[in-house]
Amino acid sequence: MTREIMYRDALKEAIDEEMQRDPTVFIIGEGIAERGGSYKVTEGLLAKYGPQRVRDTPIAEAGMIGVGVGAAIAGARPIVEILYVDFAMLGMDMLVNQAAKFRLMTGGDGRVPFVMRTQGGTGGGVAAQHSQSLEALFYHIPGLKVVMPSVPADAKGLLKYALRQQDPVMFLEHKHLYMTKGPVPDGEHIVEFGQADIKRPGKDVTIIAWSNMIPRALEAAAKLAEDGIDAEVLDPRTLVPLDKAAILASVAKTNRAVIVQEAVRRGGVASDIASIIQEKAFYHLDAPVEIVAGLNIPVPFNLELEKESIPQVPAIIAAARRSLHLEPFTLAPTA
Amino acid sequence: MARPILMPQVGQDLTEGKITALNVKLGDRVKKGDIVAEVESEKAAFDVEAFESGTVIEIRYQVGDMATVLQPIMVVGEPGEAPEQAVTQASPAASAATMPHQDGKTLHGPAVGRTQAGAGSSPLARRLAAEAGVDVALLKGTGPGGAVVKKDVDSRQKTPLAIAGGSPLRSPQLGSGDPVVFIHGFGADLSAWRPFIPHLGLPNPILALDLPGHGANADLAAEDFGSLAARVREALAASGLNRFHLAAHSLGAAVAARLAGDGGLDIRSLSLLSPAGLGPRINGDFIAGFLSAESEAALRAWLELLVHKPSTLPGALVRATLAAREAGPLATAQARLAAGVFSGNTQLFSIRDALDRYPGPLRVIIGNEDRIIPAAYADQLPPHAALHRLALVGHLPQLEATALVARLVAETVRSAG
Repeated sequence: MTREIMYRDALKEAIDEEMQRDPTVFIIGEGIAERGGSYKVTEGLLAKYGPQRVRDTPIAEAGMIGVGVGAAIAGARPIVEILYVDFAMLGMDMLVNQAAKFRLMTGGDGRVPFVMRTQGGTGGGVAAQHSQSLEALFYHIPGLKVVMPSVPADAKGLLKYALRQQDPVMFLEHKHLYMTKGPVPDGEHIVEFGQADIKRPGKDVTIIAWSNMIPRALEAAAKLAEDGIDAEVLDPRTLVPLDKAAILASVAKTNRAVIVQEAVRRGGVASDIASIIQEKAFYHLDAPVEIVAGLNIPVPFNLELEKESIPQVPAIIAAARRSLHLEPFTLAPTA
Repeated sequence: MARPILMPQVGQDLTEGKITALNVKLGDRVKKGDIVAEVESEKAAFDVEAFESGTVIEIRYQVGDMATVLQPIMVVGEPGEAPEQAVTQASPAASAATMPHQDGKTLHGPAVGRTQAGAGSSPLARRLAAEAGVDVALLKGTGPGGAVVKKDVDSRQKTPLAIAGGSPLRSPQLGSGDPVVFIHGFGADLSAWRPFIPHLGLPNPILALDLPGHGANADLAAEDFGSLAARVREALAASGLNRFHLAAHSLGAAVAARLAGDGGLDIRSLSLLSPAGLGPRINGDFIAGFLSAESEAALRAWLELLVHKPSTLPGALVRATLAAREAGPLATAQARLAAGVFSGNTQLFSIRDALDRYPGPLRVIIGNEDRIIPAAYADQLPPHAALHRLALVGHLPQLEATALVARLVAETVRSAG
């Protein structure tokens, strides 16, 4: 049986269930205790688990992340909520040089079961410092796991799995998704890392997307279907580890790939996935791998410009049609 | 020297097409590659391209006229030059200048060559083509910028070999009795049979096919004799043919013998003209010279080896072969095929076992003056073969002794009952 619940409630269920199951799980963040969190993910947890395990912090991201990483090394299971991924930058030394390296540098004796929950992406005019999609920064650092759930069931299952494994997890939510609803299985629901999910099966073109680009990819797929184009929408769910086998199998089936990311194009995860596809599935490709990504600019404050700066449904449709040779395609000059 | 610009073959089974535009008038200068006219059939429209530069000295049609395929639309030459009768009577063999495609479009060879050059192909298309034995470089692409994509390979694989049954080859629906399938030799195509067929006087349906690397199948690769025969077998199977007569020439005759000897097909009779595969020797200089000749004079010099009397060789055949050759695909495909079936002066295959196994009526016609394959190999034939050795005839008995050879082929067909 399943229930239709919101993404934010699915996250709360995961935290609640794991705090109940494991007394070493605690959560800290700005306004998460008394206010219940800016996105209401932690509402009610203070009353249930008390201030020792549900604790408000000052606006001091470096300190918060440092506390979390240190506590994880000491044997606890901390969840640190960073209000905007943009401000996780203040804790990058703790993440990149400490959390990501500790296991290797202790010969595997030390583990860092640390979960940083945060959210990114554009959200309706919150401007350049509150709208970034920064998964590529974490994706680039060996030792960090990168999780980007797109639907409530994945949000719950992946967070529960994050709280049971041993390595630092960048759990990247999206501000547009908290209020979206979806079916979540009753009872224990866990989603292991590294397992992509086919959000929509299809045979003509593979659209790879994650986080808030999944609803957009599904909308594009529905429109493509009106023209008889049967798109498959693949959600890797975790970027690290990445389910390469599922991606390659889908591309082998459809012979074309469109990768959609909200993050800026340059140096992005989409480019890396494209490189994996061309290397491992080259002789399955009937068209160039298409990438639909954010513009290489800081996200504009102006709402119309913000919209222009990140992928919209028509751009995804156009890319899919190009890959099917249904749209004009200009070859780059070779001279 | 005056040269005709021919009405293209606008479809496998069509004998005429409509002139929809004439882009030049008498006295105009044209250069090679210019689109001089536009024509259309029931199926598609085509551009007619000048194969060489010159002045238009004769135009035979007006816009709206129906023009016979492979006959001159206009003649190009020097200003003041009279259109010569010889050049204006195009041989049917001139159809080698055009390459009918499976989608009904016919393109002039050189245009195809230019279009295909550098257009690219998708990695998937290349892999599928390699698996299917299709040379992707020779396919017509429908992808971006003319790139060959999966769809192009798929549609090519659906028609493994072109089999023509149209006029002047009679269509299967019109004849009675088992069909007779004609297979041409190395470097020719199915249209080479056109002048020969009317002499047969048979009621049977007449079919002909283009070997891989030839005619409409210029883009289909065969790397050795085994795969060549296999592709012909597939084409016949795909056409639903399993009971028929075979009449074939030279390398095509060897393919026919292999099919007949391998069993599986009900081959009613076998007529082989100058068959390859009876012994090891072949005139490797001819193959090399034929493939490498770049001028009309050079090609004529080699093609004359095909016949006992050089004057028998139609000039249009030389020019059409050369024109088709400029496309690239034909020449490349034939060079690859040649490398797989011949090595220097050696034929890399034998049909002697196959002929031993074939139980039906078998007739072999060999010119005593054959300068491509030694006529003495006639001695290698099994005793059940009827052998006709023609005096003062070279490697093309169907051209040099048309009436007699047609009579002998018809008798062979009839003898099967």
